[in-house]
Amino acid sequence: MLKYVLKRLLYMIPILLGVTLITFLLFNVVGGDPALQAAGRYATPEQVQLVKAELGLDRGLPAQYLFFVKQIVSFDFGRSWSTKQTISKMIMDGVGASLSLTIPAFFLTVFLSISIALLIAYFRGTFVDRAIFVICLAAISLSSLVYILYMQYYFSFQLGLFPISGWSPDWLERWEYLTLPIFIFVSISLGGSVIFYRTIFMDEIFQDYVRTARAKGLSHTAVLFKHILRNALIPIITIVVIEMPALILGSLLLESYFGIPGLGGMIFQALQSADFPVIKAMTFISAFLYMIFQLISDVLYVVVDPKVQLK
Amino acid sequence: MKRVFCSSNLKVGFAGAFFLSIALSLISCTSKKNNLANELRIASANLKGLDPVATGDETSSNVIALLYDTLFQYQYLKRPLTIEPNLADGMPQVSKDGLVHTIKIKKGIFFSDDASFSGGKGRELVSQDFVYSWKRLCDPRLASEGFWLFDGKVEGLDDWRKAVQKDGKNFDAPVPGFQTPDSSTIVIKLSRPFYQLHNILAMVYTAPVPKEAVDKYGKEMVNHAVGTGPFRLESWTRNSQISLVKNPHYHGVYPSVGDTGDAEKGRLAMAGQKIPFVDRLIFYEIVEDQPIWLKFLKGDTDITAIPKDNFDAAIKNKDVAPDLAAKGVKLDRAPGYDLTYTSFNMLDPLFKNNVNLRYAVAQAQDTKTTIEKFQNGRGIEAQSIIPPELESYDPNFKNARLEFKVEKAKEYLAIAGYPGGKGLPELEYMVTNSSTARQGAELFQTDLGRLGIKVKISAVSWPQFLERLRDRKFQVTGAAWVADYPDAENFLALLYSKNASPGPNNSNFSNPEFDKLFEQAARTPPGPARNALYQKMRDISAEQLPIIPSTHREGYSLYHGWVTNYKANSVIVDRFKYVQIDVPKRTQLKEKL
Repeated sequence: MLKYVLKRLLYMIPILLGVTLITFLLFNVVGGDPALQAAGRYATPEQVQLVKAELGLDRGLPAQYLFFVKQIVSFDFGRSWSTKQTISKMIMDGVGASLSLTIPAFFLTVFLSISIALLIAYFRGTFVDRAIFVICLAAISLSSLVYILYMQYYFSFQLGLFPISGWSPDWLERWEYLTLPIFIFVSISLGGSVIFYRTIFMDEIFQDYVRTARAKGLSHTAVLFKHILRNALIPIITIVVIEMPALILGSLLLESYFGIPGLGGMIFQALQSADFPVIKAMTFISAFLYMIFQLISDVLYVVVDPKVQLK
Repeated sequence: MKRVFCSSNLKVGFAGAFFLSIALSLISCTSKKNNLANELRIASANLKGLDPVATGDETSSNVIALLYDTLFQYQYLKRPLTIEPNLADGMPQVSKDGLVHTIKIKKGIFFSDDASFSGGKGRELVSQDFVYSWKRLCDPRLASEGFWLFDGKVEGLDDWRKAVQKDGKNFDAPVPGFQTPDSSTIVIKLSRPFYQLHNILAMVYTAPVPKEAVDKYGKEMVNHAVGTGPFRLESWTRNSQISLVKNPHYHGVYPSVGDTGDAEKGRLAMAGQKIPFVDRLIFYEIVEDQPIWLKFLKGDTDITAIPKDNFDAAIKNKDVAPDLAAKGVKLDRAPGYDLTYTSFNMLDPLFKNNVNLRYAVAQAQDTKTTIEKFQNGRGIEAQSIIPPELESYDPNFKNARLEFKVEKAKEYLAIAGYPGGKGLPELEYMVTNSSTARQGAELFQTDLGRLGIKVKISAVSWPQFLERLRDRKFQVTGAAWVADYPDAENFLALLYSKNASPGPNNSNFSNPEFDKLFEQAARTPPGPARNALYQKMRDISAEQLPIIPSTHREGYSLYHGWVTNYKANSVIVDRFKYVQIDVPKRTQLKEKL
């Protein structure tokens, strides 16, 4: 397996170089002169020239590309054009805030949706199954903005149960502000997740090994937890691991509405102000995270199912 | 199996109830504590940074102005805006030719304590701090957006910049136009008369920053504040909130002179008292309208602008809605000192030589709809490039060519050689790709469609927008200009030919007579003679219409009944230093919310 992992890591290098090249071309060649944006609206040609020199944009394209690769390798993406802050620091500051919202919310969603899906699987074909399925379908048909707007209005403003928005750098104090966004995250995600896991469990329930286990006299509970759940772990792991990069990158809407200083809001602002260095850094980091977690997901398959062989 | 699920659910339920109760008790403690604090809380957009020369956006300026101080400021209550000394010890002495300005600074003013000073104690402000800070502003390596303030106006500055550009070590070389005969005197020598100098010395770009702090923090000055302002930086969680605490040694006092109605509104009750009145000022960085609005309604913030979608609920007949008024909420309206306009590219042959085509477009524009749909009625139809409240503004001036009259517009179009739009190529209206900008462009398209003129909307990214303006590659676009200082010159500069793109004259209008008047006005001290020159320039722009003035927006702010002394004004960026909070009244009124 070690050989496989090393091979995959080696494969990542040309792919990442490809990502860097495309990102570089998109922002430095196709998207107009970045120095004009960085220099400000009324900068004179001389000022633009100075900014070019400052940003290294007065060099040839190959030299600029190498500089970009060097920035990536050293995790020093320079400074934001908009805020003049160090991008690496902006990322490090934002990632903790994003994760403190998304990680508990995501795992709570996974736990609840697997529990509910198992319950439905147990009661398959009954009124409970159909009722939960319809509720889930209704839940996913609503826009996430509706959840946020109404829950913030009702729970925070009308009932006064939670702060309307806010944040605390203190880990203990911040839960006061995170409780409602986490609850909304779970509410938004639960419907889709339950349907997804229900489908997985239903697929497994009709497998031959389940019939065999039942024929041997195993109880429904034992079949469900010992056999079906274990065999359903591969798709569960896939979805959990593949979601990880998105969790790290934060939740744009929840962060914006609840004043959580995470990466989602940072990316949104960078897009709004055409802050190319930040966008470039986040594009690369997103691609890198997706590749790493894809690899982790593959490795975990082997851990949960010894029949899987990585070649 | 059912029992297993029940038991598991019960555990989850108990755990949930437990955490919820902890959360609720925390919330309850926090809100009670917050009600008793002498704090002013404001929702603001995201803050970029705290270095006066490195950030130019409105939000950052509003915060920087409270941490740093400037030589001059505007009288808080008096209108029209009048400049007065702040860090300066009196108004400057100006030579007869207007070229030499001698400014004395107040003694006994100290920078806030900071690790960059020896022993961590803030030292006394001296005249050299100003010169150092202005050199930073003009340092070509920093490429500050505020450099235009001194650009081409100070003796020897261009040569100094060239030397610094060649070698950064030349930064310490003197600029002949910035002199400090002693530690409390500054002499500014101008290369040409510039009567707005005192206005620009009231802008936060020119605030003194100690060299020690810059040496210690370098580019990280964006995250530090070492000023002499009414507040000191307590903490800043980026994209969340910034907290400022009162500077107990601040030199400022509350004004004794007000405008009509200020005394009746209780705004003069604290005359002569030391400011600031609040112990702490918190800016919540919130980007979405709903939380901004709900936080205000809940009393978690004290003063707010009104989000577009909440305007109808907040305002009835240009006053506070009765349900809000019953809760003690008050309204303050203030002119925006701004202009929104449609800009033609006067280098485009289609418009350059055809004033009647410009008239046709102007008379086809339905400005009333723009004000109603895009500004919630918060604005007035512009009659000229000069907004109200400025000294040279004439409320009786009307430009008939800006009236929305489709028939008249059709007549002009026919005179222009395109009856019913025939023969006129499709116009291109350039906008940024935001939804509001697109909607504005669609209204323009509809307005001109009535004349038979076809308009293609070209929505581009912000960098592309800038690039096309800079390269003068556009035909028509919409724009807005907000005053840097309350002087019509700041608006008339939009049409001065030497300010053509990449400068602020995006229409690239060039009129020798206008230029001559602009230069003559620059040499003329403030007063009736200069106002007359401004009005002549206004008349040329009204006749030529290289830009079509559209609206002057008006700012609406709401504040709670426990807030006193608040008077909105977009130019007075440090206005929160005058605001007072009645803490017992807050506790009492919050019960009603």
